[in-house]
Amino acid sequence: MLHKTISNLIKEESVKIIRNGSWGAYWLEPFIEIEKDGVRTGASYRNIDLTHLKTIEDFFLDFEKKNPFDINEIDFIKNQNRIVFSRIGQQDPLDINYYRATKGYESLITALEIGHQETIDRIKSSGLTGRGGAAFPTGIKMQTVFDQDVSTKYLACNADEGDGGTFSDRLIMESDPFSLIEGMTIAAYAVGASKGYIYLRSEYPLAKDFLSDAIDIALKNNYLGENIQNTDFNFEIELRIGAGSYVCGEETAMMESIEGRRGLVRSKPPLPAINGLFGKPTLINNVVTLATIPALLSDQHSEFSEIGSNKSVGTMPFQLSGNIKNGGLIETRFDITLKEMIENYGSGTKSDKPLHAIQIGGPLGIYLSSNMLNTSLTIESLEELKGSVGHGGIIVFDDSVDMSEQAKFAMEFCVKESCGKCTPCRIGSVRGVEIIERLQKNKASKEDAILLEDLCETLESTSLCAMGGMTPNPIHSIINYFPNELIEK
Amino acid sequence: MSSGQSNTFEPLTLIEPFIEKKGGLMPALHALQEHLGYISKESIAELATAFNYSQAEIIDVITFYDDFRTKPIGKNIIRICLAEACQSQNCKKLLKDISSQLNLTLDETNHDSGITLKEVFCLGNCAIGPSVMINETVIGEATTEKIINHLEEDDA
Ligand SMILES: Cc1cc2nc3c(=O)[nH]c(=O)nc-3n(C[C@H](O)[C@H](O)[C@H](O)COP(=O)(O)O)c2cc1C
Ligand code: SF4
Ligand code: FES
Repeated sequence: MLHKTISNLIKEESVKIIRNGSWGAYWLEPFIEIEKDGVRTGASYRNIDLTHLKTIEDFFLDFEKKNPFDINEIDFIKNQNRIVFSRIGQQDPLDINYYRATKGYESLITALEIGHQETIDRIKSSGLTGRGGAAFPTGIKMQTVFDQDVSTKYLACNADEGDGGTFSDRLIMESDPFSLIEGMTIAAYAVGASKGYIYLRSEYPLAKDFLSDAIDIALKNNYLGENIQNTDFNFEIELRIGAGSYVCGEETAMMESIEGRRGLVRSKPPLPAINGLFGKPTLINNVVTLATIPALLSDQHSEFSEIGSNKSVGTMPFQLSGNIKNGGLIETRFDITLKEMIENYGSGTKSDKPLHAIQIGGPLGIYLSSNMLNTSLTIESLEELKGSVGHGGIIVFDDSVDMSEQAKFAMEFCVKESCGKCTPCRIGSVRGVEIIERLQKNKASKEDAILLEDLCETLESTSLCAMGGMTPNPIHSIINYFPNELIEK
Repeated sequence: MSSGQSNTFEPLTLIEPFIEKKGGLMPALHALQEHLGYISKESIAELATAFNYSQAEIIDVITFYDDFRTKPIGKNIIRICLAEACQSQNCKKLLKDISSQLNLTLDETNHDSGITLKEVFCLGNCAIGPSVMINETVIGEATTEKIINHLEEDDA
């Protein structure tokens, strides 16, 4: 809207309008920046209507009155360590010249020079773990696919981003799509795949447009297609659109969907890396995991790998949302505390009411209470609390939240999204909703408390995938960290 | 198939590009629905023949996915996000308000206004919820007023 209004005002050639992507600083956006004589400043145009302006000069005057500033200088951006998200917000996301000018595609060239095994070794030594949820070491998965002595192999990029409170994949696809495409191309080369799929959720129509355009541009510039950069490496990418199913983000359900069937989870083994899409070895990675790969083959490798320890190596793009003043994308080391995240980056609750609960890691993640703010956001520290970092979503609730409703939602979501293969997940979740509804009427019911506990145990021990297996996580956390809010002890 | 007549809809021409594709059923379903707004009975029969599935198998796939429908719906689709970040921003109240304003419940179509109301779980707009998508436009910090205004602008 604003883009159109301002475009209409521009009459002279000396003014050029660029639609840059989001900075991931949502509370400021739409954020309009003006670059003049090499100096760039901007101002927030949140909920502002400009249709009354007549000329571009009117706009410049209005802009000056807003005390424009350099967005790179605000704490929210300055304190981050943006490696994977270094380009977002800076320029037109489809400007391949800008991408190249900022070291884009240098890493692909490097990979093609150093060869398959050396590329995989560098990714292994970086310590990168999957950002889709399960935190599996990326290099090891690549090695397994590479080691299969089969001529046809596939790459599948998981862009189903179904967790409530997450948007890092969306930001990459809409604000720096070439980083994903380059990452996919490097990964495909490394493991020996010549065809890649992006399984994109249907709720992201804008990402679909950006990806389609970026794929076309990469093709025209010989970064995709046949004999890429004059080598004998061929690689093509096909975009596949999901159809509103959360469980299709689970990798084997995603493969079923790509193959044209219901999204039923397959049992593992066989691992997709050995027997995946259309029966062939398949490398499956999340959008952010793949978009991280170019940095690992550049001089940023050591910068990335020297951050953090154990599984929590490198930067993590956390996504801060919900009842929060300054929500958005925060790429930082893992070992920052929840307190720093919410107070320093987020500036507290949006409602100014007391903080009450924070859910970390999506619908299958745990709720932490306001007295747990010293928790560090590493994979290990959340595992200790029987939770997970997952895809990095952090959702803030103030004290108006009813935790029994949040517990009920965990079961309701499982009812809606279960693929239906396992009885406890399909039927047990329905019973779970009923038990929680009874507890909402009588928190002191010992009988229902025990039933809920038994049901959770059954879900954990008999589910084929984490949908059923981890649905108890938020519920346990509410029982343990929010005494008397669901169950009276 | 009723070929030759004007205004007839031929599923096969839409499906054709996907038949030879590996796993072409999903894109074929999307193409059909984009064209007609839903997957018709006639299309199901064509899909079954083209992809060598039984009709029951095609229906199985269609019913698994929330997006696919076998009946026409409204010209404008409002999807209201009911996932956790939007819950913290009172999406349930927004749902109530918009339902009473538009005289619609979830999954219902008002044939006079041509509006269908649906739920969705996350639009990737979680930092400025509650979020709503009207057709393909995402609206943050959504209010009933913003939604109505947007619908009116679209109509204008
Ligand atoms: C119910 C369920 C939903 C999932 N949804 C997603 C998703 O939307 N995106 C994603 O990347 N991974 C998702 N995963 C994890 C994938 O199964 C898989 O671990 C991941 O795509 C691997 O990529 P990575 O190693 O790069 O993280 C989901 C898992 C489960 C059990
Ligand atoms: S746990 Fe649930 S979603 Fe996972 S395979 Fe079993 S039924 Fe399907
Ligand atoms: S949770 Fe509503 S947009 Fe993400």
